[in-house]
Amino acid sequence: MTNELLMEARNVSVTFGSGATTVKAVQNCSLILHTSEPIGIVGESGSGKSTLARVLAGLQAPIAGEVLFRGKSVFKGNKPYQDGIRNQVQMVFQDPYGSLNPQLTGLSAVAEAVSVHKKVGKQESIAIALKLLQRMGIGKLDALKKPRQLSGGQRQRVSVARALSASPSVLLADEPTSSIDQSAQAQLLKLFLGLISDGLSIVLISHDLGVIRYLTKRVYVMKDGVFVESGETEKLFNDPQEEYTKLLLASIPGELGKAARQKLGR
Amino acid sequence: MKQSGTLLDLVDVEIGIPYPRRDTLVIVRKANFSVNYGEMVGVVGESGSGKTMVCRAIIGTLKRRGAEVIGGQISFEEQDLSKISESTWESLRGKVIGYVPQSALAGPNPVLTIEKQLAEALENTDGKGSIKSRSKELLDLVKIRRIDTVLRQYPYQLSGGMRQRVMIACALATNPKLLIADEPTTGLDVTVQSQIMDLLKEIRKNLGTAIILISHDLALVDDVCDKVVVMHAGATVEVGDTGSMAKPKHPYTIALNSSRIDIAKPGGELITIAGNPPSVGEWMAGCRFALRCTYKEPDCTVGEHPPLFGERGGHQTACLHADKI
Repeated sequence: MTNELLMEARNVSVTFGSGATTVKAVQNCSLILHTSEPIGIVGESGSGKSTLARVLAGLQAPIAGEVLFRGKSVFKGNKPYQDGIRNQVQMVFQDPYGSLNPQLTGLSAVAEAVSVHKKVGKQESIAIALKLLQRMGIGKLDALKKPRQLSGGQRQRVSVARALSASPSVLLADEPTSSIDQSAQAQLLKLFLGLISDGLSIVLISHDLGVIRYLTKRVYVMKDGVFVESGETEKLFNDPQEEYTKLLLASIPGELGKAARQKLGR
Repeated sequence: MKQSGTLLDLVDVEIGIPYPRRDTLVIVRKANFSVNYGEMVGVVGESGSGKTMVCRAIIGTLKRRGAEVIGGQISFEEQDLSKISESTWESLRGKVIGYVPQSALAGPNPVLTIEKQLAEALENTDGKGSIKSRSKELLDLVKIRRIDTVLRQYPYQLSGGMRQRVMIACALATNPKLLIADEPTTGLDVTVQSQIMDLLKEIRKNLGTAIILISHDLALVDDVCDKVVVMHAGATVEVGDTGSMAKPKHPYTIALNSSRIDIAKPGGELITIAGNPPSVGEWMAGCRFALRCTYKEPDCTVGEHPPLFGERGGHQTACLHADKI
């Protein structure tokens, strides 16, 4: 498989507030993403990973640096993703309950997105939506349920189906598994693996290194708005360089963290 | 003052919500496990498996949710908790049995300073020294730095991890024999989670407090607990030492174990459990896991939910066919 460069962030910085209360949320962060590649951004809450994701999605303009998509700058002035490429980068949010309309069934939520992106009629958009949901493991019966009638894992899969309705080439997933239980997490990760092999690039943002290790090939470790370490996921797990990465690894519950804890003498 | 032997013992506990004009809705049936003095026990299960309801039965707050214990025994130091009066509860709840609620962020009272919060918890204790000095001791115990500043602060001024530490301090105010921590680290970062777990381990070691840790994270429980209790659809399906649970015998635990991300190979096979646990009120005859089970036999779907086989105190499994798996 030829993996060409798809997306790039060059020295991106974002600050909030001004004067004494200025928060440097993201400082000089650069990353690259190839087609059909899963990468991870890991860090604690407040490290700036969600802000960086918002920049990549075009929801937040950086104060310095630029984001390139297929070699072209994403932000023209403060307007992101012009020339009909807005649909190429889609986002799935942490809390599926908060991001789905409680009044709409899963099917109509996805069908609405389909009709916007594909510019097709009602019947056709419903047919496409059903197919997307089916691919996410949501059958017709569950597709007709409203968010409150679905389990957390199902809700998250409806959100993914909705994001996929735009046929994106990049999926930004912000902590997609943090509000669902273990078996639902396994289900979602399995689906992500399938999507990657179909050519989708995924940026997985998480504080759970277990999920990062399972899914991604390369990872960026973020602390206080700065990338402190990056590299191949496997290498980073076997031979972390930075103290902070070692600490993160030692915090993973279970077998994964055990080796790291022993190295730290805990 | 370390004691040995059984502190808490649950035998075939049933919890239900009674309705005036229709049958009682049973939400827990056949909850079975025991906790020894100074032991750390993990209770795992999916959302809705009855973990929290069992907790509520142990601290006597079921009534506030309209539920009650309708069968079985909960013995705590020779007392049957399912039969004692509300006045007896007052001398147990928050005193001999401490409780750390699920949401660290919403747990503390938002309009009280940490000092007032701790003073409330310490009100009815007859410990040595003033309430202020006891409060400081407690915060020191849960490893909070800048104690004098924190005492004057409100919950919103503290981070999630700090708030959870304060909640643990409140629960420890009366030096309880049993501490129940209901998903104490949900919504917290992994680094903070591991600090809280270290803290619980230390409390257990230094004070000899028995701890029940409720979680849906098998890996976490595996790390810190002596014993693991697995619950599914209101029943205990497997109990065993952490060591023996590495080789689970119940199909549900086996499936949970194979969906563990910390053991799986990157990009490798993750077993997912088909379907959802049966809803309360829609329990079928026989084993309540049967519909989702890959080892199902015809006799699994008739009669009662299987009891726990094996010696009490050892590894027990509630599966008719555990020996063939």
